[in-house]
Amino acid sequence: MIDRTELEKGVPQNHESEKVLLPHEMKIKKRRSMVKGIIYALLILMAIVCFIPFLMMLVNATRSNDAILTGFTLIPGSSLLENYRTMMEYVNIWNGFKNSLIISVLVTVLTGYFSALTAYGFAFYEFKGKNGLFVFMLVMMMVPGQLGLIGFYELSKTLGILDTFIPLIVPAIASPFVVFFLRQYIKTTLHPSLIEAARIDGASELRIFHTVAIPIMMPAVATMSIFTFIGSWNNYIMPLVILFSPEKYTLPVLMGFLKGSQVAQNLGSMYLGIAISVVPIMIAFLFLSKYIINSISAGAVKE
Amino acid sequence: MKKIVGLLMSLVLLLGVFAGCSNTESSGEAKDGKKKADLKVWSFTDELKKPITKFEEKNGVTVELTIVPIADYPTKLKPVLESGVGAPDVFTGEIAFLKQWVNAGYWENLSEKPYNVDEIADNYVPYVFDLGKDQNGDVRALSWQTTPGGLFYKRSIAKEVLGTDDPTEIGEMLSSMDKVFEVSEKMKEKGYRMFPDEGSIRWFAQGDNPQPWVNEKDELKLTDEKIEFLDYAKELRENSYTALAPEWSPSWFEAMDKPIKVKEDGKETETEVFSYVLPTWGLHSVLKTNVKESNGDWAVTSGPSPYFWGGTWLGVYNKSENKELAYDFVKMMTQDDEFLTDWATETGDVLSYLPVTNKIKDDFSDEFLGGQNNYKFFLEQAKNIEPGIVTKYDQQLDTFYGNAVSEYVDGKKTKEAAIKEFYRKAQNAYPELKVPKN
Amino acid sequence: MKNLNRYGYFFIAPFWIIFLVFNIYPVALTFYYSFTNYSGSGVAEVVGLANYQRLLTDTFFVEAFFNTWKIWGINFALQIGIALILAAIFSDMRVKMKGLAFFRSIFYLPNLITVSSVALLFGILLDWQHGSLNIVLMNLGLISQPINWLNEPATAQLSVSLILTWMWFGHSFIVVMAGVSGISKDYYEAALIDGATRMQTFFHITLPLLKPILLYIMITSLIGGLQLFDLPMLLTDGIGSPDGSLNTMVLYLYNQAFKYNNYGYAAAVAYGLFIITIIFSAIVFKSMYRNERKQARQV
Repeated sequence: MIDRTELEKGVPQNHESEKVLLPHEMKIKKRRSMVKGIIYALLILMAIVCFIPFLMMLVNATRSNDAILTGFTLIPGSSLLENYRTMMEYVNIWNGFKNSLIISVLVTVLTGYFSALTAYGFAFYEFKGKNGLFVFMLVMMMVPGQLGLIGFYELSKTLGILDTFIPLIVPAIASPFVVFFLRQYIKTTLHPSLIEAARIDGASELRIFHTVAIPIMMPAVATMSIFTFIGSWNNYIMPLVILFSPEKYTLPVLMGFLKGSQVAQNLGSMYLGIAISVVPIMIAFLFLSKYIINSISAGAVKE
Repeated sequence: MKKIVGLLMSLVLLLGVFAGCSNTESSGEAKDGKKKADLKVWSFTDELKKPITKFEEKNGVTVELTIVPIADYPTKLKPVLESGVGAPDVFTGEIAFLKQWVNAGYWENLSEKPYNVDEIADNYVPYVFDLGKDQNGDVRALSWQTTPGGLFYKRSIAKEVLGTDDPTEIGEMLSSMDKVFEVSEKMKEKGYRMFPDEGSIRWFAQGDNPQPWVNEKDELKLTDEKIEFLDYAKELRENSYTALAPEWSPSWFEAMDKPIKVKEDGKETETEVFSYVLPTWGLHSVLKTNVKESNGDWAVTSGPSPYFWGGTWLGVYNKSENKELAYDFVKMMTQDDEFLTDWATETGDVLSYLPVTNKIKDDFSDEFLGGQNNYKFFLEQAKNIEPGIVTKYDQQLDTFYGNAVSEYVDGKKTKEAAIKEFYRKAQNAYPELKVPKN
Repeated sequence: MKNLNRYGYFFIAPFWIIFLVFNIYPVALTFYYSFTNYSGSGVAEVVGLANYQRLLTDTFFVEAFFNTWKIWGINFALQIGIALILAAIFSDMRVKMKGLAFFRSIFYLPNLITVSSVALLFGILLDWQHGSLNIVLMNLGLISQPINWLNEPATAQLSVSLILTWMWFGHSFIVVMAGVSGISKDYYEAALIDGATRMQTFFHITLPLLKPILLYIMITSLIGGLQLFDLPMLLTDGIGSPDGSLNTMVLYLYNQAFKYNNYGYAAAVAYGLFIITIIFSAIVFKSMYRNERKQARQV
């Protein structure tokens, strides 16, 4: 589906051949390199603008409250440990990290597996009502998450699963968009003859799915997993509504909690709390950036 | 495929790292989290931390304290109580939403057996006991404190600017809003700021005419005094009598102890704040915890009109499986002579439990306040408290009105428009209220 | 082989069970609540269309609607503008910019951060008296007065728009680049031979061919934008101040339901939001489609 080499190159290449330059061409080249320099400068400026809030955050995380109130400097302060202690006294941010990670990983795994299962079911079996169900699913795909929020909350209350991770994880089994994406993908990449061959070898249907379909779908599953993971990681309104006990809060909810707590009295601790919620993601991105960016490109182009 | 494996590896690694981190973190406090506690308590401040430790030692039990910031507290607690999942055995209520909760039926009826708290009603400051009653007159929650308000100021600044630091004399100088503005002007001349922010004076806005937001006929009432507050707030801002440090913000806390920079009219000035309008609990849970250098330089006196602010009630959740222990905790907090005496002398919190207050009030003195007897002062103030003005709408309506005030003060709205907006918001949030239409 | 087809049901069963329970049922239940005066506890009394009637005359909802649009609109114009300019720069065959991968990563970085962290961070960076941003701007001499960013309706909305732009332009840039790389090189080579200027190449080749991608960005951004919640919620402690300018539709929904306990009305707000989303998505689709037909006729 995705031509990765094409994506990685990103830019259309031209085939300007090497040749001797004439004087007026030299001039053009000179001007061009000057323009290029200006553009680079602007791009770097933009990169700095992108990064400066993070920089302010990192610097301020090491400074004391009164230092931050008096002014800004790029020189780190020496209050990092103190800020950390103040923050941990009220809010255990690592706990939020753990909760977010547990939920997001499980959501990603469940979404990946069950969406693949459903997509496979839709793609390679003929059964009554299949097309109707598929169209219905596509229609429901358009429904924004907030629409059912109140009903979802009431349902969780009735089922007694409020203040647990269940309503945040289990619904991931049904992700229409991912199913749709995977179905389109496997329709074009998996030839029915492969399945037939496996059947002749005596493999069970589920086994065929696991050994034949899953490996073929894996690149698409991984692409979708990136989105699922980021989406779940950033989800704010659902856990905000579902979770009550601070020790169960996910990172986004914990951030709001941080703002309302006594930590907010100390700006240094606040910055540190935010920094802790941000820096690990930045580090992860450092290693995965190429992959994530390719997934975004692929997701869009596939549309 | 390689990339996917790499991705999965990184995820697993990440998971491992954080699981590791959180393990080391939580091992230190496994008591709170991992082990199942005998008793669960929910509150909106950390003031119960110490009492809980004491209770644990005394009874050999473990108690889990959950603190939820006050803005989210009712929103979070309600579904917990409604569903009973992960619900606390004891939970506290702040005065702003107390009325709503005593009537909601989540708290155990303490007027019944085996609690029979009505028998000890005479031991409490009457209004405190009455506020814990539901519409049928049954007691649902008790409180250990009474929360009349005062005005805390810095003695050194008072001496320099006003020539005296005596609480009675200063109180005299602040006995009306006009006088407050006179003092504010004197403060400004010497380079000080009277208050941290405009909201400081909102408690005096009730004046001599404290009225509830909503009367028995469900009518929203904005008294003339409350409207007048708009002008006072504006005057404070326009005359630069405040340090532009909004309540509960980092700068608000910072200004208690240290000079603070104010940016106004294109220049930056360094100034100090003279006074904070805070009630009893402001002393131990706000001032003492944030002040280091000016310890002992503070005193408390009365403002233009008496007021009260806040107060924590607590009761037993009626679906608790551990009501006996839960009530033991309530009992310790509200009826234990020994504990309450220690509590009062340690923190300076003003109790509503008369057997103890009568015992300690005469020779009480607080180092932080330069040896002043704040107990006697506040108990005197407590006599002026009008509990009838508490309604279940207070929390939201206070927020809405505070918003209206700041929009007027910031010059974004005229007075009329700000009030109109306030009415609109109140009506929108509470369609059942009768709101003036003009 | 025919008997194997029943496996299809097994394969899709988990999805549908969960989908019915956690998706369809809540949506239906919300629909039911929208006709009641349910208050979060007790019984729900059916009140007919009262909630929808109120919705149509609710000035707060109308305000929230326009706020949401203003905030989203400014953000989208900036975001897509920046993304297109960047794409034009990086796809230019004559300039041949290097460092695409690097800049793409840096520009995308803000998008990866949890919105609530972003909200908190900007909440304190933008503080009036003591925020680092004002301090830096004043030190640089760019402003003489501290700007009370989050206290003036116009600057508050602009701040949120700019934060959103900051978060999303990198994402749009990546998607636009993906689209550009899908355009056949022959077009550009032909243009180069014909001596087309940079502008001509961009407006007559790149932009028209990017239409499906732009539509994709617009629709996804619109749906996300209409659901704007985290930033205003955390920047204003849920109040939507100043002057209600940061009160968005979903924030309004949240407050009605979980703060004021008007669940029934909040359910109606949710359906109002849904209808609006559908209408505007349809308009975007339609207008794009019509443009295409017009062009086809011209050719």
